[in-house]
Amino acid sequence: MEAENINLFEFAAFDELESEHIAAPRYSYWKSVWRTFFKNKFTVAVAILLVFILCFALIQPKLSGYSPIVTPNINNASMKFLKPSAEHIFGTDHVGNEVFDAVWAGARNSIIVSFVCTAINMIVGIPIGALWGFSKRMDRWMLEVYNVISNIPFLLLAMILSYVLGAGMRSLIITMTCTEWVFVAYFIRTQVMIIRDREYNMASKCLGTGTWTMIMKNVLPYLISVIMTYASRQIPTLISYEVFLSWMGLGLGTTNASLGQSIAMYTSYMNGYPHLFWIPVSVLAIISISLYIVGQKLADAADPRTHM
Amino acid sequence: MSNEYTDREVILSIRHVDISFDVGNKKKFVAVKDANFDIYKGETFALVGESGSGKTTLGRAILRINPCSAGEILFEGKRISGKISREEDRNVVRNIQMIFQDPAASLNERATIEYCISEGLYNFHLYENEEDRVAKVDRALQSVGLLPEHKSRYPHEFSGGQRQRVGIARAMIMDPKFIVADEPISALDVSIRAQVLNLMNRLKAEKNLTYLFIAHDLSVVRFIADRIAVIHMGEIVEIADSETLFQYPLHPYTISLLSTVPMPDPLVEKERKHIVYDPSQLDQSGAARSLREIRPGHFVFATDLEFEGYEAKLEKLEREKA
Amino acid sequence: MEENRNIILSAKDVEVQFRVRDRYLTAIRGVSLDLYEGETFAIVGESGSGKSVFTKTFTGMLESNGSVTKGSVMFHGKDLTKLKSDKDWEGIRGAKIATIFQDPMTSLNPIRTIGSQITEVIEKHQGVSASEAKAQAIELMERVGIKNAADRFNEYPFQYSGGMRQRIVIAIALSCHPEILICDEPTTALDVTIQAQIIALIRDLQRELKFTTLYITHDLGVVANVADRVGVMYGGQIIEYGTVEEVFFDPRHPYTWALLSSLPQLGVKGEELYYITGTPPSLYNEIKGDAFAPRNEHALKIDFVEEPPFFRVSDTHYAKTWLLDPRAPKLEKPAVIQDLHEKIKKMTDKGGAFHVE
Repeated sequence: MEAENINLFEFAAFDELESEHIAAPRYSYWKSVWRTFFKNKFTVAVAILLVFILCFALIQPKLSGYSPIVTPNINNASMKFLKPSAEHIFGTDHVGNEVFDAVWAGARNSIIVSFVCTAINMIVGIPIGALWGFSKRMDRWMLEVYNVISNIPFLLLAMILSYVLGAGMRSLIITMTCTEWVFVAYFIRTQVMIIRDREYNMASKCLGTGTWTMIMKNVLPYLISVIMTYASRQIPTLISYEVFLSWMGLGLGTTNASLGQSIAMYTSYMNGYPHLFWIPVSVLAIISISLYIVGQKLADAADPRTHM
Repeated sequence: MSNEYTDREVILSIRHVDISFDVGNKKKFVAVKDANFDIYKGETFALVGESGSGKTTLGRAILRINPCSAGEILFEGKRISGKISREEDRNVVRNIQMIFQDPAASLNERATIEYCISEGLYNFHLYENEEDRVAKVDRALQSVGLLPEHKSRYPHEFSGGQRQRVGIARAMIMDPKFIVADEPISALDVSIRAQVLNLMNRLKAEKNLTYLFIAHDLSVVRFIADRIAVIHMGEIVEIADSETLFQYPLHPYTISLLSTVPMPDPLVEKERKHIVYDPSQLDQSGAARSLREIRPGHFVFATDLEFEGYEAKLEKLEREKA
Repeated sequence: MEENRNIILSAKDVEVQFRVRDRYLTAIRGVSLDLYEGETFAIVGESGSGKSVFTKTFTGMLESNGSVTKGSVMFHGKDLTKLKSDKDWEGIRGAKIATIFQDPMTSLNPIRTIGSQITEVIEKHQGVSASEAKAQAIELMERVGIKNAADRFNEYPFQYSGGMRQRIVIAIALSCHPEILICDEPTTALDVTIQAQIIALIRDLQRELKFTTLYITHDLGVVANVADRVGVMYGGQIIEYGTVEEVFFDPRHPYTWALLSSLPQLGVKGEELYYITGTPPSLYNEIKGDAFAPRNEHALKIDFVEEPPFFRVSDTHYAKTWLLDPRAPKLEKPAVIQDLHEKIKKMTDKGGAFHVE
């Protein structure tokens, strides 16, 4: 015991570089994003539900082959307005078609349209917005463009485009992207301006880094979280636009299934057969809310402040 | 004595530089007034002043971040202020680098250390192949006392001192000739400041660098600088080599600054007398002031009348010390 | 000389923990401190050493995720660690124990006039009339060095300079005649010339109003200027304490050595400064032995095994290092800080101003 104590009072070996090691496990941004995202059980449950709904909406209509203009049971009164049952899960509608098939075919188109439009708006809006935020010269005329476009009434634009281009998927996508990207760009511009003048960007400038590299390496990585938040709000918003336009008769037209189309079609049977109306509305709500929740949680997880 | 100054090679000249900012209503705030001095190759030139004195503004003007509203800045005899060609601008970036005050704010938190240090290499393609680039980054890390294993880490995983050394490494990898160090240690913890100061001195000797060291703390400046310029409210009030400034301070503002440097000695501190700078003691006749050479290499900002007073004072001091 | 002085506040074995996302950070690891009435005690340490956290337990201002998990802080027969609600703290926080923070704007409301902010505190704590409070406020403003106090009474904080704002914060802190004034890095955000004025102001006010001052700072120059006694903090513990002369001229802990030796004031041009490498320990982990050991070139093997106790150097001077154990090898402090007073006397003139021989 005594011998051991004496040994302890010797100088220990000292290595200067030893103190430079970082003991903490290596940090990885995306790994931390997923870890944070999957830590919350509720989020995971909603995400699973969402993935299931999306897959189902993409696959089921292929199997059912539903089309609003194919109405084999139109003359069979015994097949019309059936209540939901084991055989007819959501019941049947005024022309004797399965509501279940109609809703999923509608959901499929609505989801496709909103995803495609969001993707286009983001792909166009983000780079333009990033450059806009950086360049003072571009800011001057882009602000004028923004002022003009943001003052065009959306409904008016939708009506004109649907008259010019006719109803259908293509015209709906054009309607929901030809002005929307400006709002994305404006949003990104403001975000870029907030972090543009931070010191690390000045440091990059002193190292000779060009504007585009700055955008890709210094600015956009900081905006992942806010961009996700924006997208997670944009997708459900665009679904509701589609529903609204289709309901107005300006959307996908009567030949294509869509949630808006179904809701418009079934509104007239609200009194006698309310389930016809409420089923597509509920599906719409479930899709929108779960998309929004998953997007928000993903955006939160993408914020490195939550990675501790 | 005078030969020592005339023989030395000037690397950077600040020629009668004014820097002003618009503050709305067509009003201008003049941050730097008629700054005029040379920096010699291989020296550490310190610019000392309080916050708002214009010292950082002037440092940033050299890096072309702030434009000069009058005068010009020459680097190796060529004008680098105002409109210059893209090629010349790239040349400035290659040769003049900056070390920032706050290492937490000046590193890109979303980029790995490898990218942070390689950034300049990428921009000028200063490597033959990937292998060469990685080797250069490893060498840069080692030269500042960090480890190659740090490459894949992110800035927030490091301590303040380590981050500042990353900031130094990324400037050094460009093989610059001139470095503007803007308060490089004042955001760091006391225990690690010494390490960063030593590192800067070592790299300067190894790479034959010239520093413009911007600081508010005279104790640091005394240790690191060869020559010192004191700046007050945008005006340079005194320039001298380090020993002269501490031995024969002339301008009342310099004297006041010297009296504020705290000493780690309770007995000395008990006797401390702060000399408060009182501009009303200066010549109030309205005569123009300029930076005049009172002894070779020793400049003081004065009117004719003040200059006579400084001359008398200096002679008295010199007699006392002799 | 310290013998017959009263202890005004006594912290015993204080431990503070913070809960940060499922993990516990032990910011203060068993700190004891007796504050004597009327003295100036300085706690010096780098960021993360726990110096601010420790003193926040005296005013119940710990962040909501932190709590005192062990120990006690006795003040006028009350254990301050037992106080919970704001009501319990009434009459102590801001009244008997006041704090001045580094950034004056954290204590001032930017959209209210300076005058109203001072009078509010006076009215609340002294229960005097509005006109009496105003008179007192103007007197206080003059006392802390605001010229034309009556004219500047109705101005807003943004119209004041940083140094002037800090003076106002001091005026507010002193308006209820506190017994203890905690100065948490009061001058770090200020310019050197202003810094000296604020320190002098606090010292003059202390002489006049006879309160006890607790300085928290990382600046050894400030400590040398203001303190009667000093405690050096590292890794959530006080590792050495003593009178200011003892700690500066006869330091015993290797961390105190390192702090003093690495000061650029002591550097010789053209030579390397003494320096320490590495970073303070992470307080999320349990610390074994001496927290400074991994950065200490003089560390003993036992420093990695067992935490050192406090060894007595004199009645007033204690240090927590195994180097003071009789079994430890003899070790002189670094050469840079030997004969510190003689060295510094040589490089300063009569008024303490720096010069070079």
